Amino acid sequence: MWSEIIFMEARLPSPPLPPETVRGIAGAWAEFHGYVRADEKGQKISALRYDIYEPMARKQLAAHIEELASKHGLVAVRFWHRTGVVPIGESSVYVAVAAPHRREAFAALAELMDRLKKDVPIWKAESLPA
Amino acid sequence: MKILYFAHVAKTLGRREDEVKFPAPVTADALWERLLALRPALAQYRATIHLARNNEYAGPADQFADGDEVALIPPVSGG
Repeated sequence: MWSEIIFMEARLPSPPLPPETVRGIAGAWAEFHGYVRADEKGQKISALRYDIYEPMARKQLAAHIEELASKHGLVAVRFWHRTGVVPIGESSVYVAVAAPHRREAFAALAELMDRLKKDVPIWKAESLPA
Repeated sequence: MKILYFAHVAKTLGRREDEVKFPAPVTADALWERLLALRPALAQYRATIHLARNNEYAGPADQFADGDEVALIPPVSGG
C-alpha cells in the first residue's frame, strides 16, 4: 500500500494525480478538501492557527491508514495538513484514497477524517479575529 | 524528561516545553504533581489532557522515566 503524510506551512498545492503504482488497480480515487470557514464557534474570524505534534501525528495517522487499508482494501492514501496560520477560504487539509471500488473509497475517506478528529494530535490552536 | 506543550496550553504557559528530572520512574499522578507545582496554570486543563509517552498515548499503568518525551495532549481538533 502506497501512502504519503505531509505537514506544511505553505499553501497546499494543487494535488497531483494518483500515484502511478495504483494504475490499473484502483477504480476509485476519492478526495476530500477541508477549508477554513469565516465562522468558528459563533465568532467571525480571519484565520485559524494550527498546531501539530508532528512525530506523534505521523505515527497515529500511519496506524489509522494501515488499519483502514486492511479493512477497506485501500491501495493508496495521500494525507496533507497545514500547520501555522491558515486564512479563511484556504484549504487546511487534503486527503485522498484509492481503492478498487468507490464504496470502499468513500467509506475509508470518511472514516479517516473521523479518526483524524478523534485522536491525532493536531489542533486548531487559535482563532484570529476578523 | 522532556515535557511538551501544545495549542492553547502552550499559549497559556507561554512556552512549548520543560525539562524535569526524577531519580526513578514515576506514575502519571506523580508526574502531574510535579508539573502542577512547576506550572500551576496547568490545573485548569488537567481533566481534559491525555499524556503521551514517546509518541504513544499513555495507559493508566504506564511509568514515566528520564529520557522519555512526554506530551500533554489537550482534546484534538484537526481538519
